[in-house]
Amino acid sequence: MEKRPHALLLKYPGTNCDAETARALEATGFATTILPVSQLDRDHLEGVSLVVFSGGFSYGDYIMSGRVARLITEQRIASALEEFRDRGGYLLGICNGFQILTQMGLLPAGSLVHNTSGRFLCRWAGLDKRSDAAPLSFLPDHFELPVAHAEGRFVTADPADAERYLAEGLAPLTYTDDINGSFAGIAGLQDKTGRVFGLMPHPERFLHRADHYDPDWDGDAQWGWGYHFFRSLHAAVSASSPVPCPA
Amino acid sequence: MTENHRTPHATLPAPPFYRHIPIAALDGDALLSLSRRMKLSLSREDMLQVQAIFTDWGREPTDVELEVIAQTWSEHCKHRIFGATITHTGPEGPETIRSLFKTFIKDMSERVFARKPGFVISAFHDNAGFIRLDDRRAVCLKVETHNHPSAIEPYAGANTGLGGVIRDILGAGRGAKPIGSLDVFCFGPPDVSQAGIRGDDVIHPLGIMRGVVRGVRDYGNRMGIPTVSGAIQFDDAYIYNPLVFCGTAGVIAIKDIPKEVLPGQLIIAVGGRTGRDGLKGATFSSAALDTDSHAEDQQAVQIGNPIEEKKAADFVLAARDAGLIGFITDCGAGGFSSACGEMLSEGGGEIILDNAPLKEPGLISWEVFISESQERMVLSATPEHLEALQALADLYETELTVLGKADGSGILKVRHHGEMVCELDCGRLHDAPVRHLRGHFTLPAGLPLGGDLPCDPSADLRRILSDFAVVSREPIIREYDHEVQGNTVLKPLAGASGDAPQDAAVLRIDGSHRLMAMTQALLPEWGKTDPKAMGRACVDECFRQLVAAGADPDRIALLDNFCVGNPEDPDTLGALVESVKGLSALAEAYGAPFVSGKDSFYNYFETDDGPVSIPLTVLISGMGIVEDASHVTGASLRRPDSVLCVLGTTSAAMGGSIFARTNRHPALQVADFDHVAALERYRRYHQAVTQGWILSAHDIGEGGLAVALAEMAFSGKGGIEVSLDSLPVEGTVGRAARLFAETPGRLILEVSPGNLDALTSHFAGTAFATIGRATSDPSRMCVDWGDERVLNEDLAELKSLWKNGLTPYY
Repeated sequence: MEKRPHALLLKYPGTNCDAETARALEATGFATTILPVSQLDRDHLEGVSLVVFSGGFSYGDYIMSGRVARLITEQRIASALEEFRDRGGYLLGICNGFQILTQMGLLPAGSLVHNTSGRFLCRWAGLDKRSDAAPLSFLPDHFELPVAHAEGRFVTADPADAERYLAEGLAPLTYTDDINGSFAGIAGLQDKTGRVFGLMPHPERFLHRADHYDPDWDGDAQWGWGYHFFRSLHAAVSASSPVPCPA
Repeated sequence: MTENHRTPHATLPAPPFYRHIPIAALDGDALLSLSRRMKLSLSREDMLQVQAIFTDWGREPTDVELEVIAQTWSEHCKHRIFGATITHTGPEGPETIRSLFKTFIKDMSERVFARKPGFVISAFHDNAGFIRLDDRRAVCLKVETHNHPSAIEPYAGANTGLGGVIRDILGAGRGAKPIGSLDVFCFGPPDVSQAGIRGDDVIHPLGIMRGVVRGVRDYGNRMGIPTVSGAIQFDDAYIYNPLVFCGTAGVIAIKDIPKEVLPGQLIIAVGGRTGRDGLKGATFSSAALDTDSHAEDQQAVQIGNPIEEKKAADFVLAARDAGLIGFITDCGAGGFSSACGEMLSEGGGEIILDNAPLKEPGLISWEVFISESQERMVLSATPEHLEALQALADLYETELTVLGKADGSGILKVRHHGEMVCELDCGRLHDAPVRHLRGHFTLPAGLPLGGDLPCDPSADLRRILSDFAVVSREPIIREYDHEVQGNTVLKPLAGASGDAPQDAAVLRIDGSHRLMAMTQALLPEWGKTDPKAMGRACVDECFRQLVAAGADPDRIALLDNFCVGNPEDPDTLGALVESVKGLSALAEAYGAPFVSGKDSFYNYFETDDGPVSIPLTVLISGMGIVEDASHVTGASLRRPDSVLCVLGTTSAAMGGSIFARTNRHPALQVADFDHVAALERYRRYHQAVTQGWILSAHDIGEGGLAVALAEMAFSGKGGIEVSLDSLPVEGTVGRAARLFAETPGRLILEVSPGNLDALTSHFAGTAFATIGRATSDPSRMCVDWGDERVLNEDLAELKSLWKNGLTPYY
């Protein structure tokens, strides 16, 4: 009997960070399944503790990023993800996955739109931990992760909403510098249950110390901050009671 | 396979969907004019041979057959100039070369394969050449050009250029996994005035550059393949005919490399549908550009859809892992015609065009068969595997269609609407007429060296650091996702500040403790004076950069890509011959075989004032095996108290250097170097790397020593304080050459003071010298020569010139 918590990674046409995200999940103690969305039905959530949406360009993201992925997911499993969350399940969205979770309305309201530069941006970004969150518990108050996105600017209909998310602990992760024009510098959000988390940076790309651009990086002898991100999430998922099967 | 993918009969094209073309009675002139009318790009001799073949068979060809032959014999597919017999007169006297490819690339490389058993696993016959990574895995690299499409439609041209080379990797072996891409561009200077461009529809270099970069970005990023390496050259001659090289590396299990089509296997198409986009790309690429190309040849440029390719890629890799693929190749130039031709040319078989899923109804037979619509792969599989393949296609939401079947007949048969539209004994098509060409080259005599030219070190350094050839490519690099797949250990920009240039990219390979380094070199400016020296220098620079980054010098393989003007011009061809001789001899001396290559001719543009040709452009790309992650060595300063050493000899020849070009010194002698000594130094350097003695190392390339030192210090970790007095030199070498010469074979090493003694004795007897040290003041770069301080620069100012040089233009 598998004792490790089970992570289910949904792969859409155009999802392209699935392999390295699964690698990070496995390295930190999750039993991981990558499931092409063409096969997805509600039964796949059985026995799953964490549903992961990884980076990529689902369906090309030619219209608003994550929108087609949301429509296809709803078509296949309707509100099963909300029910999964309500039963105590965790959801994680990275980059395109964050865009998808935002489109699904599983995170505080807002949109991820084109960076103010109008360009794709691949670089490392300084990040500040602004409040507690399941995947951040073993991370320091300030750390770095790589980012790679064209539509990573988090905006809200009323800019005050973004500030409110920050004040209410719903925006646990902000950029140290303004790299893409996100309101309140928001890089990551969680919902009120604390079990749904989305972020634009890519923790799976900083699993090992050697992934850092500076060969003399002085953070950790072996692992990168991304490892500690997934390890934190693993601790939170393991500590919560097992997710019961859907009725 | 589902019926609704078939073209409904209601949309059957109005007859005739094919026709016979009477050629038996035509004379040479009439045959040539037919070739032109049909845009076959076949010469008079080719057409006469076609006529002879069909006379033997006692019938007239169909249009489909002529199109198939035109694709098969096109320069793009057959590389007939590299196979031509060339009567060449060069510095070594007159000679006859029977195939440049065989003489200087293939035969040479096979001698190296024999010296290194087990290293090269396959070369020259598959989509890409493979070298051994470890006991179980091999890596490969392929580089293609997409020049003419990018001139006419930069975004789509570059987009599909990258898409095409990714498919090459997916079709290498029984399906290699793409793990990293490189891109190399040659553009006109971005600050050229539009009024100075001759030719109505020629796109300004800025438009070309932005379109090309975005095209690469949107394909590579969506495919999830990191674009990790690249280069850009700027020259007025590229205004009319820009060059776009796209390359992709892959990894595969060695057991999955052999591929074979067996009689009875199904021929299966996967991925995108077939449409009228991309008609005649192969033949279009084999002719010169002119103003009319911009208006008339749009149809030859394809439209890219990376998600379609991503789905096909996911399918291919899963099908390979399940053991379902017998043979696989991509649909590139020539479309189904070349893919099916490759698969059936020996065994034979039948293709039913009606089965091909179409983007639009009404395509006639030859259009379906040679369309170069993107994102299509063709594979063979036994019929019992069809169900499992269909299940995988459904899983990854890609379209799969059985096109036909291999039958062992030796004949390529193509049917459409029940009629045989093509029936060719491909055995007769292997041997296109051998072309006969003339080459001529004279090395200008008595050229000055240039090393004692007047030099204002500070002004020269600033000018060179802000030259388009040297400035940071950061604005472009940041648009490419260079870290997807999470394996980019040595990134294109790194060092303590994350924005300093590196010599090569190094990728971790899943499941292996070994890594792969990749980089490339091109020096078109050198070839204007001395193409042979250019060939040597390109091989050396590529090899040296790989070694600098940590690759084992005994496990490096190279690729050669040639972009050339009009091969019928003896001077153009003569320069090519010389460059090939130079790079071939050095690659053999270094034990770095060629495993793949490509050539592109007719890179010139017909203006009203005559043709403008590109300079001979040779791109040498390389991949090297890095034994262990601890060997990965960056090119950025790491300590404020380390010692700086130079490996290699500086000579006074300044030809081809940026110093000479930006000072407008015409025709200077191009540097030569002792490659035997260089290789010995690289081997010892690698031993020093394995000992852990090297903190960082940077190749001394474009811009020379002064630029390389500044680039190392751009990490912000320390300042520079060196003296040119102890620099190993050959002959009398003045200030200009010591600072800015681009002599091959040189590296700067950063070493801890504690390891200096060991390193010095390790390099005893070689051109090695300690030139100075890093300092704790990261704002200063000081260079002395004798009693004079020749450079005393603010590094922040230098970095700003370098870092922001491209920003106003991109």
